[in-house]
Amino acid sequence: MKIVEALEVTKTYTLGERRIRVLDEVSLSVADGEFVVVQGSSGSGKSTLLSLLSGLDKPSSGRVLLGERDITDLSEDELAPLRNEAIGFVFQSFHLVPSLTAIENIMFPAELRQDRDAQARAEGLLGRVGLRDRSENFPHQLSGGEKQRVAICRALINNPKIIFADEPTGNLDSLNGKAILDLLFDLRKEGRSTLVLVTHSLDIARAADRVVLLRDGKIEDEKPDAS
Amino acid sequence: MLHKPFILRQLTRSRKQATVFVLCVVLSIVTLIALNGFSMSVHDSLLKDARTLHGGDIIIRSHSPLSKPLKDAVASLAKRGLVESARYYELFSVVRTAGDASSLLAILKIVEKPYPFYGNLQLQSGRAFHEVLTRGSVIVEQGLLDRLHVRVGDSLGIGSAALTIRDVVEAEPDRPVNFFSLGPRVFISTEDLEGLDLVKAGSRIEFVDLLKVHDPKKLDRITGELKAVAEKAAQERVDTFMTESSGVKKFMDNFLFFLSLIGIFTLLLAGFGIQSALAAFLKEKEKTIAIMKTVGATSRFIMAQFVAVLCVLGLMGTIAGLGLGFLLQHFLPALFKELLPQNVHLIVSWRAVLQGLLLGVFVVALFAFLPVYRLRDLKPGAIFRKEDPRIERSLPYLLTISTILLFFIGMVLWQLQDLKVGLWFVAAVAGLIAAVAVITQLVLFFLVKSRVKALAMRQALKGLFRPRNATRAIIITLTASLSVIFSITLIEGNLDAAFVSSYPPEAPNVFFIDIQPGQLEDFSRALGIKTRYHPIVRGRVTSINDEPVDPDKEREKRGDNLSREFNLTYREELLEDETIIEGKSLFRNDWHEPQVSVMDTVVKMKPLRVGDRIVFKIQGIPLYARVSSIRSRTGEHIQPFFYFVFQTEILKDAPQAVFTAVRMDKEAISPLQNRIASRFPNVSIVDVTQTIAVFSKVMHKLSRITRFFTSFSIIAGILILVSSIFATRFARVQEAVYFKILGARRVFVLKVFTLENTLLGLISAVLALLVAQTGSWIVCARVLDVPYRPFIGTSSLMVAATLLLVILAGLLSSRSILNRKPAAFLREQTEE
Repeated sequence: MKIVEALEVTKTYTLGERRIRVLDEVSLSVADGEFVVVQGSSGSGKSTLLSLLSGLDKPSSGRVLLGERDITDLSEDELAPLRNEAIGFVFQSFHLVPSLTAIENIMFPAELRQDRDAQARAEGLLGRVGLRDRSENFPHQLSGGEKQRVAICRALINNPKIIFADEPTGNLDSLNGKAILDLLFDLRKEGRSTLVLVTHSLDIARAADRVVLLRDGKIEDEKPDAS
Repeated sequence: MLHKPFILRQLTRSRKQATVFVLCVVLSIVTLIALNGFSMSVHDSLLKDARTLHGGDIIIRSHSPLSKPLKDAVASLAKRGLVESARYYELFSVVRTAGDASSLLAILKIVEKPYPFYGNLQLQSGRAFHEVLTRGSVIVEQGLLDRLHVRVGDSLGIGSAALTIRDVVEAEPDRPVNFFSLGPRVFISTEDLEGLDLVKAGSRIEFVDLLKVHDPKKLDRITGELKAVAEKAAQERVDTFMTESSGVKKFMDNFLFFLSLIGIFTLLLAGFGIQSALAAFLKEKEKTIAIMKTVGATSRFIMAQFVAVLCVLGLMGTIAGLGLGFLLQHFLPALFKELLPQNVHLIVSWRAVLQGLLLGVFVVALFAFLPVYRLRDLKPGAIFRKEDPRIERSLPYLLTISTILLFFIGMVLWQLQDLKVGLWFVAAVAGLIAAVAVITQLVLFFLVKSRVKALAMRQALKGLFRPRNATRAIIITLTASLSVIFSITLIEGNLDAAFVSSYPPEAPNVFFIDIQPGQLEDFSRALGIKTRYHPIVRGRVTSINDEPVDPDKEREKRGDNLSREFNLTYREELLEDETIIEGKSLFRNDWHEPQVSVMDTVVKMKPLRVGDRIVFKIQGIPLYARVSSIRSRTGEHIQPFFYFVFQTEILKDAPQAVFTAVRMDKEAISPLQNRIASRFPNVSIVDVTQTIAVFSKVMHKLSRITRFFTSFSIIAGILILVSSIFATRFARVQEAVYFKILGARRVFVLKVFTLENTLLGLISAVLALLVAQTGSWIVCARVLDVPYRPFIGTSSLMVAATLLLVILAGLLSSRSILNRKPAAFLREQTEE
């Protein structure tokens, strides 16, 4: 079953006075439970594709479906429950809320659902990633690896169906990066989530069920073939 | 729904922006709170002391002797034991020293026992007033002794009498403020009234009957009775101590009214400050908001958190504004010294507190609405990509702007209670801001296109157009507020130059009032100057086209109105500087009824056309006249003018006095005054240049107070500047770091920031000066009709002061940016 699908999506940005076409009629589908890696050089449109698939951004043309649902034209408030319950996002730059502690950052999505077990579940996840004693620290008091672990916990607290990770180890050293990826893979397997990950790393790509190669806004290659 | 830790931390983490926001809220309400509270205190004090202020329970005023029916009515009440009455007469007259060596215009108060019914006149000797003021005696103000170089015990020539100075008055309860008086006070007993020989037909005398009502419960009934009698004669005014409007109260009402306009102007500019500071505050939170949306927070949830933050900040600002407003109120009596009675008690008016609270809440809600509403449209993707979100001028935007405009109009009308003036004020402010906005846009347009070679200046210029820099808002706010202050200074300077420093050479500088018709020939010889003599008959307008004039309603109008007595005159020709704007000639030969020519100023009080019918009352006798023409003044000459001019045959036999005005050398005034005063003691002589000096003192004081309140609006502009610097902090730090990495020294960075603030200050100051010079020229040349001087020196000083203020504010806010170390900044960016 397809869990997320992009149908001939194009994305054009306006930066100052310039219009830049980042994605050009890209079609991609991801099956439930699949681990897909998206690769490409800088500026090829990887992060943009992830933004569109996750509903963080809207395509200039084309459609995006999450499950059976067309999310292309949904409003921000209509997308909110999907982001809260169905999707988990891990960013390269972590993007933790600076004014919330580690545990508060993790609990936040669960609290939005008025989940009474939010704290317990957050504590569990923090323990799972070895940061129980850092639960009351703010993001600026954590190292890069610690921040990314907190971000992963946050992405997983609501047991999302699909996790989007945009270069989750991009800002980490190799040791921390490996640890983060192992964590991500383990938790994904436990939760049986689909994972769509953007990375430059060939090692990570080897672990994927499918690798999609983007060049100049188009899919150049897919291994193995999606069909 | 509310995430308490998040809300609390928003308050504590963005302390600088939050502080600026709170200060803007404080500023928006502090002047209005202070003025409204002060106004209520003044009214309350004047009302509490109203009996003392007026000296009686009922006050009957007239410019002619009381009519018989009213005299009889008062006598009847006194006979029935309901009231006690005391009469006094108030008039100007020249008092002379022995041998007529010197003379001085003084304000005489000729009183009968037991004046005053309330309050005590304090004398230097400590003795009781009526114990000292016996026949042949006078009690004077210290000012008279100083100016005439006389002492207690010396003799004074007043009218046809010689009276002895017996004591000095130190406090007069019904004359609490002598700031505006044209001369010192002299008390005389009514036993000397006949001997003075000053009460003549047509003389400018105020006849006042004070009544003390024995049973306060009967006050309104007795007043009603007397009013009914007075209405028929239409020459007296009957008021109670509560309804009688003292000169002090009238003046304070008008001045505080004007200052409240300044308060509303400040509120509007501070409102822009609120919006700007909040927009900067929320801009800092965009990433946080994007993250929250990424994990599924709805716009409603996010808005709820920030509305909660705003409520806390708004409440802090409102409470601080209330507190500061009350503090400022305590400072106001010192600022208004000499304009107010000493015993003004400041009260805490709960009405003012509630008004202030509501005002604070409403102002925050109104100006904060748009920045908060725009959170709805923030898309996470755009923020992470650092795209500048497009601001759409959607329906909520237009509705908010309309609501702000309506609120502003509503505030103005509520404060002013005058629709016409209110709408004019709104139009003037809107026009000022619109004009400034257009000029600012033009200046910025040319600046962005300019090519500058010097590196530091080039960077400074680019800095003005840095994204999120509120350059336009800063310039518009500063320019608008500065232009008001500059205008006040320029207009004051020009009035001073025109009338005080150099009185117009062709304008008369000595007025002679209350010349009796029978004295005219002798007077003319004694004066020895060829001049025009104007007969004056005092009268009131009682109806126009059969519609009665309601004096109470007229008095409610601001500015001149038909409730007062007018100086009517008669002649057959136009004066040199008069022109007829409606009608064929001054009077019509084909009409065989009494005619009156009316000045266009009267038409502004009540619409009138040629052919309309006016009924006047002259000492209780009605006079009907038809409007034969409407005149206007050309302004070519400065000379006396009259609102109503009759044909000679209509008024020549009415009780009258004669007035003239001449131009003389300053040195010749005093000897002439002494000569005229000794020969014609009933004639009042007014040295206009001295009078103008008194009014100049008043004008300076009022200008100082106005500038004090207007300076609050400048703070709004400075706060927007500070807020803008905080909002662009990241970009400024980045620039400073990159400059340093590339080899620039700290002094270069300082130079760039200083130049940026200099440009801001210079543009604002120069634009403000341009607007002020234009506006002041229009007021001076077209409205006040005085020659205009641009005062280059003063203008330059004002520009320099503005520059200094803006540069200081800008540099102080940028201190920490200059000290940032490149390595620490770069590390932070990499980690993020």
